[in-house]
Formats: sequence, structure tokens, C-alpha cells
Amino acid sequence: MLCLMKSPAVRRYVMRMWIMAALCILFAVVTALAFRLYHPHGVLAYLVAILPALPIIGALVYTGVYLAEEKDEFQRNLLVQSLLGGTGGILAVITAWGYMEDFAHAPHMDLIWVYALFWGFASVSYCVVWARYK
Amino acid sequence: MKNRLRVLRAEREWSQADLAERLEVSRQSVNAIETGKFDPSLPLAFKLARLFETTIEAIFTDEN
Repeated sequence: MLCLMKSPAVRRYVMRMWIMAALCILFAVVTALAFRLYHPHGVLAYLVAILPALPIIGALVYTGVYLAEEKDEFQRNLLVQSLLGGTGGILAVITAWGYMEDFAHAPHMDLIWVYALFWGFASVSYCVVWARYK
Repeated sequence: MKNRLRVLRAEREWSQADLAERLEVSRQSVNAIETGKFDPSLPLAFKLARLFETTIEAIFTDEN
């Protein structure tokens, strides 16, 4: 999404996002192994299970940091509009899906997909917003 | 909002990329402002005015 931008803030943001993605994969493997080998339970199970979510939360925080660091107000505006599109899109989908699960017995959607879907909607939104300013 | 950026830029034989570099923004930002699709903030408008050694009113015109 941000591949066309070359500001120092973008470079820092991309680097941070790669680190968070790597940590997410690492923590997901560690969590899976921990549950397979040690079968944690109680509070420890919650703490271990939440590990892969921490880099995801970090990525969201770094998105906020990028918005604070980016000096180019037009690029900031593009990203803010994209994030709004992503937020609106994912809220609409999970709300509609929730009702479909309750009333129409639609298959259960695992909440783990919400974050990926959010960025999917944000990416589509970015393209739409970008095309408007082109 | 209408503006005279293209004219001012042409007078100095600056490309959009040249102006973007001087403003420390992306070329896409200059293009969006120049085509009237994005209105700059007051600080950026002042920066443009200083760069072209003129006033904000001489660059931007309120369409209303």
C-alpha cells in the first residue's frame, strides 16, 4: 500500500511492519509448540495464547506512530481515509456475519481473520482514494 | 480551491518533483494540490507562499 511513498517516515514504518510480521510468525510458532508440548492451562494458557496478537497490536501502534511522524499531509490524508475505509468495511462485514450466524446459521467466522480482513479493506480503500486524487 | 501553482512553477521552470523536493512532500501531493483536488493546510500554504515569494492569496483563490 505504501510502496509508492519514499519518505523517511515510510521507510521506518515499512521496516517496523516487517519486524512485527516476523515476530507474529515467530510467536505463532512458539504458541503452537507450547500448546502441543506443554499443554498450558489457566492464566498461563491465556498469556501464551495472546503472544501472536502482541505484534499485531504493535503494528497498529506503529501505524499511529507513522501518522504522527509523516510530514506529508497529503499522504497522511490518504492513509487516514484508507484506515477509515478498512475500519468501516470490517465493522460492516463482522456485524452482518454475526447476524447471519445467529439467524441463518451461517458458518462460524474465526475472529483471527478480522485483522487480515481489515488490511484487505484498507488496501482496497487506499486504491479507491488514490484513484480519486489521480 | 483554484490556484496558480502550475503557472508559478512554470515561471521558474520547476517540475512537480522539483517543487515537491523544495516543499519536502511527495510529487503526488504537489499534483493533488495543483489540480485542486487537495487543499493544503495553512502551514503548507504559507510554505508555498514563502517559496514563491508571494502571498497565499496570490496563489490560491476561493471559488465561492
